[in-house]
Amino acid sequence: MEEKKKNKKGLGRFYRGDRRAFTHREWKGFKDTTYDYFRWLKLYGLMVVKLAVHPILMVKALLRYRWMASYLTAANMVDRHTMGLRGKELRYTHEQFYSLMYYSVIKIRDIIVRDKHLRPNSKHAAKLRENTLMFDEMTPSIIMAGFPKTKWIDIAMFTIGEPGEVDQNANVFYIDAIEHFGMASDVCPLPEAEVGCAVVDDYPIVGRAYVTSSMPCDGSIGQTSFLGRYMEKYGINVFQIIPPQRFNEEEVQKFAVQNLKKCIAFIEKEMHTKWDWDAFWKGAEMYNTSTQMMINKWDVNCTPYPQVCGAALALQREYEYQEVACLDPFFIKTDVKVDKMMQKGYLKDKKEDANKPKYRAIVWACPAHYYTNFTYWTQHCWGVKCVVDMECMLSHHFFHIGDKDQAMIDMAKSYERMMMRSHTNGGYVNSLDECWKMAEKFKADIVIMYDHVSCKNVAGLHGLYEEQARKRGIHLVWVSHDLMDPRTVSRKAMRMSFNQYMQNIFHAEPLDPSLLDYEDAITW
Amino acid sequence: MKDLKHLFYFEKLLEDANNELVREVQSKGRLALGYTCYHMPEVLLNLGNCFSVRLRAPRTGSMEMASYYMSSGSCEYSRALLERGLEGGYHFLDALCGVDACEAMNRAMENMELLQTKSEDKKNFFYTNLDIPCTDDEDAVAHLKEQVSRKVLKQLHEKYGVDISDKAIRDAVNKHNEVCRLFKEMDTYRHLDNPTITGYEFAVFVLASYVCPKDLIIDKLKETCEELKSRVPDKKKAYRIKAVVVGSEIDDPDLIKLFEENGVRVVCDRYCYGSIPGRQEIVLNNDEDALTQVIRNYELTTECPRQCIQHKVKYRFEHAANLVKEYGADGIIYEQMKFCTYWSYERTLASHVLRDEYHIPTLSIDRPYISGNSGQLRTRVQAFVENVEIKKIKALRVKKESEAK
Repeated sequence: MEEKKKNKKGLGRFYRGDRRAFTHREWKGFKDTTYDYFRWLKLYGLMVVKLAVHPILMVKALLRYRWMASYLTAANMVDRHTMGLRGKELRYTHEQFYSLMYYSVIKIRDIIVRDKHLRPNSKHAAKLRENTLMFDEMTPSIIMAGFPKTKWIDIAMFTIGEPGEVDQNANVFYIDAIEHFGMASDVCPLPEAEVGCAVVDDYPIVGRAYVTSSMPCDGSIGQTSFLGRYMEKYGINVFQIIPPQRFNEEEVQKFAVQNLKKCIAFIEKEMHTKWDWDAFWKGAEMYNTSTQMMINKWDVNCTPYPQVCGAALALQREYEYQEVACLDPFFIKTDVKVDKMMQKGYLKDKKEDANKPKYRAIVWACPAHYYTNFTYWTQHCWGVKCVVDMECMLSHHFFHIGDKDQAMIDMAKSYERMMMRSHTNGGYVNSLDECWKMAEKFKADIVIMYDHVSCKNVAGLHGLYEEQARKRGIHLVWVSHDLMDPRTVSRKAMRMSFNQYMQNIFHAEPLDPSLLDYEDAITW
Repeated sequence: MKDLKHLFYFEKLLEDANNELVREVQSKGRLALGYTCYHMPEVLLNLGNCFSVRLRAPRTGSMEMASYYMSSGSCEYSRALLERGLEGGYHFLDALCGVDACEAMNRAMENMELLQTKSEDKKNFFYTNLDIPCTDDEDAVAHLKEQVSRKVLKQLHEKYGVDISDKAIRDAVNKHNEVCRLFKEMDTYRHLDNPTITGYEFAVFVLASYVCPKDLIIDKLKETCEELKSRVPDKKKAYRIKAVVVGSEIDDPDLIKLFEENGVRVVCDRYCYGSIPGRQEIVLNNDEDALTQVIRNYELTTECPRQCIQHKVKYRFEHAANLVKEYGADGIIYEQMKFCTYWSYERTLASHVLRDEYHIPTLSIDRPYISGNSGQLRTRVQAFVENVEIKKIKALRVKKESEAK
């Protein structure tokens, strides 16, 4: 009876161990619930308008590809991230996530209308493929700013990366497939799942050439050897962008620029097109605008009144830079809109001295794809607000508009400092020293240190992080995970490790006790 | 076969990274330059009074400290080196020339740097970490040349006054080539139908040449070559199949011994710390500076899976298949150090490509750093040997039947 009563309050009541979806929608008050419901309708409306117009292709895609079904749960993903939020924070998050979802829906549409597997005999699809370049997930597409007439689609992101974020179990099949093929199970599950997807032939073939890279880590390098062969099977030529590792050194930029020039030549040859500087400058301006908007968010989050936080801050930037190359007007429009909302919200909070987080945290190292809303959980359960995430601190320098030589160096630097690589490559200073610098800048009480158990890169600095955090008196909370494989470390286990730290070290009381322990192993 | 005269001597040299020859020449003022990876051009670490020491951690036991710093999921080789470094096992080094080629090795070097594993007496000691390109074109050569010049040669010159001129590099290449010619001669005995040198013996000699001042072992290598000329093979073959070993770092000849104790004769060593690549002559011309030619040689010959450009991936598979043919081997053992990401991908793919496309029997294994006594590995190797033998018997039967028809 007591238990039942307790469970009537708190966000934990929306979870049940035997259910994939939430038990019911959250009541956020009339105004916020109406807004929330309107956004939910808007997202499904978008999916209906853009995808339901191709009903046969959608059904074929759902039958052909295992990853496609995960997209049906996209609204649940947004719900996971907006649960418990109110007022302006709810609105920031919806705006940020909608731009991400909007782009994804458009790209899924682009994939199904082009795909050789779904439409092997369609002349229209073949024609579309002729003008489409395929990209690997960990290869930023900013280079496409100079090719305005050529379409590009990141095939790995939409088959592996995003489904894994939408549905925690989406990648498990591909991981198992490649491990049955002989791969050691200790490698990072992201490139591993991408390779598994190739082994079971689950990639859509949507273009006439493929650009991949050596980024961001050893696993990605290994992945290219498989994906290269996979593409060759379909007669598709491959180019690998190979930025230098030690990118803090100015001397390495020459090699990086030469490599990018070769990539440009490859695209020109394969796609029968020409590099267009005018278009590039326009793209560079868009990139600069989006970068400025990102920096504005960081500046505000350094103050006692952070505004756009958690996954809303990080995921949107990752997608905008990695997948969209800052070239989508809708993203820029959203950036400008959220920036205005944020400035207003900041001034209001400052005036009222309101909404100060109980604890401020920065997130460091690679987060779990299958638990992107983890920092919302820390916020709701313990009052630990994530003011910045290492993953969004990528490529944040500006392009020099008009200077062609410098612009190539800028682009090279942008690639070198892409997602994750920005901190995990280039020597320990980018990872270790930068962490303490950011903890100080963002006035963090806690560093949530993601311990990706298969990441050899950050693992190699494990002891040094421990020692240096102790010396500096920083609360470093290790949260283990396995990036794409929730079977190794479940969401619940991640929460438990954080709970233990808060209870044993901070002796803190949870803000929402219903979130301390609940089952979500089979949820999306 | 009769034991080789100097085998025991070389085995003793491998028992310690700071072996008697290293100590001997250091007492005379020569400089020991530590390195780990083929991407660091070995020959350039042998200029003037320098000599290269490819790092190993023989007789490794516990890796507790290194596991704390690098976690238990990191490559055991890297952890073993860090552990040895933390124990003070590399105090003899005058510089540590690392490469940013794989994550684990890079982090091991960075840990050594931050945890100050060098000797305090070595005032001019320096660490380097070269940026290693993932391809082998001329841009990559120029890039690596800049890295080596700035991070290694300039440091050697400024800190230790080492002559880094073109002439000095050519001299070093000549000395390197002298050693390579001896190994080439030894290698001919591995090509024989019944090889007169075992894989273990060859591995011991090659390893010694990586970790000792070469000028001090060259006489004994020459004597060994002479000895091999008249070495009589066993009447009955002491092995059941011949195999090429391909894969990641093997600095422990006991692993080769394990293969050979279970019926395999290792006739070719295409792994890190093996002779392919690494013990082939570097041919220089006079039209171009020696440094560029040396760098190009290493870029073109490396077989590291870090080189992910498609033509290099294909080259590695083709080369492995060609080695099987060249050495008359019956199969390939693809091995990887446990937790090595590069070789995990390479081994997985290669084990399918070589079996399915080249029709070569392939054993695919991952193994710990110290694996000479692994019971599991023995079982795997024995099963592989039986498998290959059965295939040979079946092929023979099919041949006989077709001839009879």
